[in-house]
Amino acid sequence: MLQDLRIRIRALFQKNAMETELHEELRFHVEHEVEKYRRSGMSEEQARRQARLVFGGQDQVKEDCREARGTRFVETALQDVRYSLRSMRKNPGFFAIATLTLAFGIGASTAVFSLVDTILLKPMPYPNANRVAMLWRRWPLAGIGDSPWAPAEYGFLARTATTFQNLGAFKKDSFNLTGSGSPELLEGVRASAGFFTVLGMSPALGRTFTAEEDQPGHDHMVVLSNRLWQTRFGGDASIVGKTIDLNGDPYTVIGVMPASFTFPNQDGIPPILDLPKETELWVPLLLPAVPLRGAASDLGVIGLLEPGATVSGLEQELGVYERRLEELIPQEKGSSMRAVPLERQAVGDARRPLLLLQGAVSVVLLIACANVAGLTLNRSLGRRRELTLRGALGAGRSRLMGQLMTESLLLATAGGLMGILFGEASLYFVKRFGPDGIPHLHEIGLNVWVILYALGITLLSGVLFGLAPALGATRVNMVEALKEGGQRSGGSATAPRIRNLLMVAQVAMAMVLVIAAGLLVRTFYSMLDSDSGFKAARVVTFELPLPASKYADTGRMAQVYRQVLLRLQSVPGVQSAGIASVVPLGGAPDGTVIRLPEHPTMDQSENPFANYSFASPGYFSTIGTTLLRGRDFSDADTLSSVPVTIITGSMAKRYFPGEDPIGKQVGVGNPKIPVRTIIGVVADIKHESLREEPDPEMFVPYTQSEIRAWPSMQAMQFAVQTKGDQTAIADGIRQAVHGVDQDLPVAKFATLTTLVDRSMTADRFSMLLVGAFGILALLLASIGMYGVIAYSVMQRTAEIGVRMALGAQRAQIFAMILRQASRLAFAGIGVGLIAAFGATRLMARFLYGVTPWDPITFAGVSLLLAGVVFLACYFPARRAMKVDPMIALRCE
Amino acid sequence: MTDRHIDLPQGTLDLLILRTLSHSPQHGWAISERVQQMSSDVLKIQQGSLYPALHRLERRGWIKADWGTSENNRRAKYYELTRSGEKQLEVETDSWRKLSAAVAQILESV
Repeated sequence: MLQDLRIRIRALFQKNAMETELHEELRFHVEHEVEKYRRSGMSEEQARRQARLVFGGQDQVKEDCREARGTRFVETALQDVRYSLRSMRKNPGFFAIATLTLAFGIGASTAVFSLVDTILLKPMPYPNANRVAMLWRRWPLAGIGDSPWAPAEYGFLARTATTFQNLGAFKKDSFNLTGSGSPELLEGVRASAGFFTVLGMSPALGRTFTAEEDQPGHDHMVVLSNRLWQTRFGGDASIVGKTIDLNGDPYTVIGVMPASFTFPNQDGIPPILDLPKETELWVPLLLPAVPLRGAASDLGVIGLLEPGATVSGLEQELGVYERRLEELIPQEKGSSMRAVPLERQAVGDARRPLLLLQGAVSVVLLIACANVAGLTLNRSLGRRRELTLRGALGAGRSRLMGQLMTESLLLATAGGLMGILFGEASLYFVKRFGPDGIPHLHEIGLNVWVILYALGITLLSGVLFGLAPALGATRVNMVEALKEGGQRSGGSATAPRIRNLLMVAQVAMAMVLVIAAGLLVRTFYSMLDSDSGFKAARVVTFELPLPASKYADTGRMAQVYRQVLLRLQSVPGVQSAGIASVVPLGGAPDGTVIRLPEHPTMDQSENPFANYSFASPGYFSTIGTTLLRGRDFSDADTLSSVPVTIITGSMAKRYFPGEDPIGKQVGVGNPKIPVRTIIGVVADIKHESLREEPDPEMFVPYTQSEIRAWPSMQAMQFAVQTKGDQTAIADGIRQAVHGVDQDLPVAKFATLTTLVDRSMTADRFSMLLVGAFGILALLLASIGMYGVIAYSVMQRTAEIGVRMALGAQRAQIFAMILRQASRLAFAGIGVGLIAAFGATRLMARFLYGVTPWDPITFAGVSLLLAGVVFLACYFPARRAMKVDPMIALRCE
Repeated sequence: MTDRHIDLPQGTLDLLILRTLSHSPQHGWAISERVQQMSSDVLKIQQGSLYPALHRLERRGWIKADWGTSENNRRAKYYELTRSGEKQLEVETDSWRKLSAAVAQILESV
C-alpha cells in the first residue's frame, strides 16, 4: 500500500528522474542482449537488429511501463489542462467573455445563497430554539389572525397547561433612562420569569430574573442588552449590582445578555404584537395574580415543549385548553390558539422575497451557463478540423470529450473564482443598502458552506456547458468531415440544433426575468400612486413618550400634549401641528371590538371591530387627510361635552352601508363605556405599508379618554406641517417640548417622507435586485445572440459571396440574416411568454395594483426583448452585407 | 522456430518473475534469460513485456528495486523479492498447481 503510494507520488513529482532510470534500465538490457548475440558470432549490426527484434518496440515498452505506474489519468488530465490553457491564450476574447459571463452568474448566486444561508438556514442562537413555540390567539370570525394574549388568557394557560415545560410572556415597553448623560428613550420588554428559561439563554454577566422577582415589590431589576451595556455604560465589567434610573425609578442591574441575544424583536412577528425593533433591556413583567378583565391584549407568549414533543402535535392539546378557557370566560367564544415553531416565526416574511431572489438568480445562472455553452459550442465547431484530425490520429471519442470537458471545467473554475470575488462585493452592497428589516443581515459573509455552494455550482455548470459542445463536436463522421474540408461545411446537424435550442432558451429565460422585474417596478409605482390618505410633503413627525412615574392618568397626559401643541404653533416655520396615537406609517394602532346600538341586527358574535386611535383637532389637516363629511374635532370636545368620534371611509362603508353615518352612534365593546356620536368621516390612512387594505378606524379626541390609564396615550406621536425647510425645525421643536418639561425625550424624529420611504425599503430592494438580474439576463442573452449570429455570418461568408456574385442585393443579404435571427428571437419570446404566464403567478403576493399577467408589462417586455435582440444582430448582419464577393470566394 | 513457442497465459509472467527472484536478486536482463532458460525455450516471452510487469510488481510491493553493479561492472537495476512477495509466490504457486491439476484431470477424463 505504502509502496504503491510512494511510487505514484514519485511518478508524479520526479517524473524526469524516473524516465532517465527507465531509459537506463532498458538500455542496459538491450546492451546485454547485443553482447549475447555478438558472442554467438553475429556482427555488431546483426546483433543489434536481433536484440531490437526480440525486445519489441522500445517506445511501446516505455509507454507500458508508465502505464504500470498507475498515474496515467493524472498525466492525461495535466496534459489536457496544459493544452486547454494554451488554446485559451490563443483566444483571449472568447475566454474573457465566457469567464465574465460565468463570474456574474456564479457571483450573483453566491451572494443570494449567502443571504439564504444566513437568514433561512442558520439556526437561532438559543439553546432551546428547536423546542420553543410561539403561541398566538386568533379570532377567525372577526377576521383577526395571529394576535397577542390578554393577561387573563395567559394566566389561565400558565395555570392549566401541562404540555409545556415552561411558559414565558413578554410585552414591549419604553423606558426613559435618566441620570448620567442626556435622557434617552430605550425600547425594552417586560418579561415573565419563565421567559429566559424557555429560551434556555444564560446571561454573559450576572443572572436573569427569578420567579420571586416577578412579584410586586421585588421587581425593580433590569437585565441589559449587550449593545446598551457597551454604548451607554462603556462595557463596565462591574455593572452588575449598580443602580440605574428608568422612568424615574431606581432599578438594579442584575445581568447583561450576550451580543447574539436580541429576542424579542420585530423579525417575522405580525405587527399586531408590538415589539421593539431591538430590545435593549428586560425588566420583570409583574402580572397581577388576578388579571383584570378587559385589560389590553398585548402579551407575546412562548412555550418550551417537552423533549421529543413537536409543535404540530400540540394542536389537540391547544383545542382542549381553548374549550376550558371558553367555559371559564364566555367572551372568549369564537377564538382559538395556535403554535408556531419560533425558528419559523422569526424568519417569516423575510423568507418570501429571498425565495423570489433565489428563483431569479437561478435563472441568471442558467442563462449564463447556456450562454457559455453556446460560445463553447461555436468554438468547438470552429475547431472541428482539429478535432477530426486528432480523431484520425487515434484519439478516442472519450479522450476528445475529456479534452473539451477539461476546457469547460477550467473555464468554470476561473469563472467561479472571479464569481466569489464578485459575490463578496455584492454582499457588501447588500449590507450597506439592504432593508433594515432583514434579520441577521449584519452577520452575512461568505462562509464555508457558501464557498462549497459556489464550488458546486461551478462544477455543475462546467459539466452542463461542457457536455453540450462535447456531444455536438465529437459526433463527427471523420471521413465526411475531412472530405468536406471544414470551411464550407454546415457541420453535423446536431451542433447547430443544440446551439439554436440554447439560444431560444436564453431568450425565453431572460424574458421571464425581465417580465418579473417589470411587474415589480409597476408594483412599486402603483404603491407610490396609491391613495395613502395623507400628503407627506413638508410634514415632520416625532414621538413624545411620557414617563409613567410622572404622568399616570390620561387627563394629565392630555394636558401636557396640549401645552406642547400650543407651544409648537408659535415656533417660527410651523404651519400647523397635531397629534395622534400613531402618525401615518408610524405603526399599528390599537384595535377594539365595537358596538353599534342603531344596528341591533348586526350579530355581536361577528365581533365588529375597528382600530381605535386618539387625535387632536387639526391633526387631519396637518397630515393632509381629506375630511369627507362632517366636522373636525375642536377644543370644545372635552370630557364634559358629548363624546364624539370621527370614523374613516372604510368604517362608514362597512358598518353604515348606504346611509349617512353622521349623528349615528358607535361605542367600544365594553357596555359600561358610553357610546360616541359620529361627527365626521375622513379618508382612510395607511399605517404600516402603502400596500395595506385599510381596516375600519375610529378616532377619538385625545381630550376625551374615559379611561384613566391608557397605555397608548403614554406615547403619542406628533405631526408638524412646516412652512419651509423641514430639518431646520428640529431645534425649535425640541425647545418647545423642553419648555413644557425639561426631562421629556423627543423620540423617532423623522420626516413623513422618510417614513414612507422606510416602509418601502423591502419593496425597493427586491425591485432593484430583480431589476438588476433582469438587466444582467438581457445583457447575457444579447451577448449570446450576437455570438450565434456573428458566428453564423462568418460561417456563411462564402455562401453570401456566391449569392452576391449571382446578383443578390445587399439589402436582401441583410434581411436574410435578420430573418434567421428573428426566427430564434420570436421562438424565444413565444416560449418566454408562456413560461412567464406560469411563473408570475407564483409571485402574486409581491405585487400590488398590477395583475401577474399585466398585458402592458408583457407587451412592453416583448417589444424590449425584440429590440435588444435586433440590436445584437444588427452588427453581424451589417458585416454580412459588407462581404466582398471576391474576397469571400477567394477564401475557398 | 516461432511455432515451437506458446503464448504465456495471463498473469503467469508475474509468477515466473517471482519464482526467478526467489533465489537471489537479479537485474532485468538476467531475469529474462533465466525465464527463457527455465522454460526450455518453449514459452515465448516478448522481452519488452517483462519491464511493465516488473514495475507493476514493484508498485504492489512484492519486489523492490535497487541500483547496483553488474558482473561486468556496470550500473544495473536489481530486483529482489520482499517478504510479502515471498508470501505471494507461495499463494500463486499453490493456486497454479491446483489449477493445472484440475485442468489436467478434466483433459484426461474426456
